Amino acid sequence: MAMHVPRAPGFASMMKEGAKYTHGLEEAVYRNINACKELSETTTSSFGPNGLNKMVINHIEKLFVTNDAASILREIDVVHPAAKILMLASDMQEKEIGDGTNYVILFGAKLLENAESLLRMGLSPSEITDGFNLALKKTLELLPTFEIKANLTKENLRDNEPIVSKVLQTAIGSKLFGYHEFLGELVTKACLTVTGSDSSASFNVDNVRICKILGGGLFQSTMIPGMVLKREVESEITRVNQARIAVFSCPIDIQVTETKGTVLLKSADELLAFSKDEEASIEYQIKALADMGINVIVSGGKVGEMALHFLNKYKIMTVRLMSKFDLRRVAKTIDAVVLPKLRAPTHEEIGACDSIYVDEIGETHVIIFKHEKSHISTIILRGSTDQILDDCERAVDDAVNNFKALTRDTMLLPGGGATEIELASKLSEYARTCPGIEQYAIQRFAETFEFIPKILAENSGVKSTEILAKLYVGHHDNPNLGFVIGQIQSEATQSNDITYDTGDVKLNELYDLYLTKKWAILFATKAACTVLSVDEIICAKPAGGPKPKENKGWDNDD
Amino acid sequence: MQPMIIILKDGTDSSQGKSQVLSNISACQAVTEAIRTTLGPRGMDKLIVDGRGKATISNDGATILKLLEIIHPAARTLVDIAKSQDAEVGDGTTSVVLLTGEILKNARTFIEDGMHPTIIIRAIRKATALATKKVKEIAVHIKMDNIKEQRALLEKCARTTLSSKLIARQRDFFSKMVVDSVLMLDELLPLNMIGMKKVTGGSLEESRLVAGVAFKKTFSYAGFEMQQKKYLKPKIALLNIELELKAERDNAEIRLDNVAEYQKIVDAEWSILYNKLEKLHASGVNVVLSKLPIGDVATQYFADRDMFCAGRVQEDDLRRTQKACGGAIITTIENLDDKVQQVFGTCELFEETQIGSERYNFFTGCPKAKTATMILRGGADQFIDEVERSLHDAIMIVRRAVKNDSIVAGGGAIEMALSRTLRDFSRTIPGKEQLIIAAYAKAFEVIPRQLCENAGFDATNILNKLRQKHAENNIWFGVDIMNEDVTDNFIAAVWEPAVVKINAITAASEAACLILSVDETIKVPKSSAEPSNAAKAMNMV
Repeated sequence: MAMHVPRAPGFASMMKEGAKYTHGLEEAVYRNINACKELSETTTSSFGPNGLNKMVINHIEKLFVTNDAASILREIDVVHPAAKILMLASDMQEKEIGDGTNYVILFGAKLLENAESLLRMGLSPSEITDGFNLALKKTLELLPTFEIKANLTKENLRDNEPIVSKVLQTAIGSKLFGYHEFLGELVTKACLTVTGSDSSASFNVDNVRICKILGGGLFQSTMIPGMVLKREVESEITRVNQARIAVFSCPIDIQVTETKGTVLLKSADELLAFSKDEEASIEYQIKALADMGINVIVSGGKVGEMALHFLNKYKIMTVRLMSKFDLRRVAKTIDAVVLPKLRAPTHEEIGACDSIYVDEIGETHVIIFKHEKSHISTIILRGSTDQILDDCERAVDDAVNNFKALTRDTMLLPGGGATEIELASKLSEYARTCPGIEQYAIQRFAETFEFIPKILAENSGVKSTEILAKLYVGHHDNPNLGFVIGQIQSEATQSNDITYDTGDVKLNELYDLYLTKKWAILFATKAACTVLSVDEIICAKPAGGPKPKENKGWDNDD
Repeated sequence: MQPMIIILKDGTDSSQGKSQVLSNISACQAVTEAIRTTLGPRGMDKLIVDGRGKATISNDGATILKLLEIIHPAARTLVDIAKSQDAEVGDGTTSVVLLTGEILKNARTFIEDGMHPTIIIRAIRKATALATKKVKEIAVHIKMDNIKEQRALLEKCARTTLSSKLIARQRDFFSKMVVDSVLMLDELLPLNMIGMKKVTGGSLEESRLVAGVAFKKTFSYAGFEMQQKKYLKPKIALLNIELELKAERDNAEIRLDNVAEYQKIVDAEWSILYNKLEKLHASGVNVVLSKLPIGDVATQYFADRDMFCAGRVQEDDLRRTQKACGGAIITTIENLDDKVQQVFGTCELFEETQIGSERYNFFTGCPKAKTATMILRGGADQFIDEVERSLHDAIMIVRRAVKNDSIVAGGGAIEMALSRTLRDFSRTIPGKEQLIIAAYAKAFEVIPRQLCENAGFDATNILNKLRQKHAENNIWFGVDIMNEDVTDNFIAAVWEPAVVKINAITAASEAACLILSVDETIKVPKSSAEPSNAAKAMNMV
């Protein structure tokens, strides 16, 4: 430990024994930077299409196999305060865009690494952060100028399915390379189904559902407009076409009072009549539903046996849902109103669905609500293990989030590291025009961008220096030059090997979203600046002893 | 003097790099070893005693792996694919695990030589696509125009499955039974409509299939002995009503001021019960089944009026009776003769008979019979359990075969054909993939090799013969277990549905890719009450 740094006399004595504090470059800043560096080392090898998976076993012994940085970091319980700042930045990216989390971690960590050497040169942290902020400003100015014109607007997403699909494929390609074409198209279809003809209405990520069913292979995954529920129906009827549906959030049963009550019987006749009346009342209610032409009931509560008897009698299919959210989604799928009380709905409140049926996928029984004009679509994922399914779900999730970002801003940037190289060269030009000491910082900021194509190349097992040199040279003529991984041809006859080389990303249709890049760079830079601006760490003495008892109010009188 | 920085929680275990991939592969191979010997007709069974001392005898891969309670994260993947195969097709669980193990074993050398896992993964995926395509290409479509041909096909598939199980000797007997039972179902082929009842004692051949429903006699009350136990064309009522004196409603209260009224109430309770019984009797029902108890009074009432009753019938038995005999499960005694709905069921014969030491209720000759019941006989409990699992596998296979009419030859034939195709293909590739696809092709040979080894044959010899036959385009040549030789398994009627193989190949490859793609394991300690303190993490102690 760096013992020679003099401690402020008396500061320690002001605090409880056991409290720790460190300050200064050596003790605080460098170590924070190191922590961030170490964190990024874990995620470096999972970046890009050739990134490898990590097996993470979290604190409740659940197994994750993934290369999604956000999930890895969430599960490994980062405790180091500085590393946590970086993690929170990536978390923010997850919330804002839903993709590009690893980008934030890597860029932030590399930025800090470069800052370290500047610090050792003798620059002060504030000078570095100033420089970084200037560079960030310039970067955000530059980014829109690299746009790839694809004639994509918020309004014509539906007509440009191929381009949308390519964008999503880039997102999935960084998680499940090899499946990206298949899944990309599936997700595109799912997303476009739920985007109404008026794209102005906001796209909700929740409207693309994922249903994971163990068994089969990934290529057996399908998309269904409507909902898929892993349940069985209550009633005897298992298939209804042209359904008219009533949705209830209450149990379908004899109504019970909330207030505690007792049925008071005064004579034997009343006793005899009691259950008869009860039966008649429930039959009356269900008959009323049947008279409205309702042939399917979706309920959020228990379906009583007596009610079920009459439902079967009137040939009404009954589905019971355990989750309140599922109930709401089903209601949305079929355009019904959720009724809180068992009563005949009005015509506006009745939902319609093309067909509702029970099917068996693998070993799992599912109820499928298929509705062409649905506001919700479901992707049925198949896979041979739970881990594969979970990983696919995350990839699909990222792709759907990308689609959402696309509905907000359709600007596309060249992918495969092309944007980064272009930024790096433009920024270092800019740095040379700056008179002050921040020039160094801007220069370093520019260099940091190199790391992205470099890691891409390294993870693919290609010499990164060669690729970088090629990229820099190529960028004089073509700003869209990037690191491209040759696609495998699925036709059996064509036996071309996989190629890793530089190539025009526009021709190869590798697109990144402008929004993803913008926020990722922004968050990473801000996080790096935050870490840099810390020069003192104080930890209060951790509370020792057994955990305080929850129930402490029992002797409040003291 | 740079101190080590701890970013993660104390006790977090992490390992990474090439050694990590290799150790994961080793773990998977250890698992494969455990079930290797169960493959094929000459496979041996395993006896597993679980934590609570319950013994299970099985040679079903999925069952064994489930009972092993594996905790190694990578090896758990194998358990998952066995489960997935079980869910998707029901059989072939051992082969899918073996195949995964073998692919990994062959990939191991490449990892050791420093090849990047992603290259291997990509090549495996490519090879998988080719293999599944090939299966689809060479699979034979059996025309199912007439029932007879379909039956023959299904029986052969069932027989192939059963030949590798404990009941291989009785496979002809059971394959017929399985096909019969599946063909009785409706178009959804619901599995829960085939009931399996196990009665210890007797021999396997005494097992029988009931075209209808059978269940164990339920608990009965006094008067039961007087009831008739056999009815021809009975009218059956299925109830969800308690036929006993009971409170009509839990939270009802009666307030009275004189004795006469009190007596009336008592009478009323009786009359409610009698009313129910009378209505049932008046409707001409002969057999009354109820999910809920049927009490003393009711039992005697029915006995006096020449009716049979059984209370506390299991719900799934009742549902199957409903499927078989028609009618509805009645929750209320009102509107019994309502014309809106068919209320009562019927069948040719109802009978209570003795099987082993148990009494069984039989409903046979049902008009709508969309359900079947198998009554399994045999010696020990573990034995019957294993028979049940084997039959379950066979039923699943037959269900798949009904939906898909394309089949391939088993006994290692299809594996050898794939192996050959892929090997030929690999030679046309100039790059690194050549090696991997060739290795993948070799992995398929594990199935015929293991079949031979389990049967005590000279595996190398048989495999050489097979390779030669396949090189001459005899695509259906496989291991002949009976004669220690190779034979055309298509003619020998060792048939499997193509969908089983396709699923096995996809699942095995996906799992292998998953294991290869992991380069780091991070294990966070189990959460405990210990407060996580940042100071410790900063190493400032």
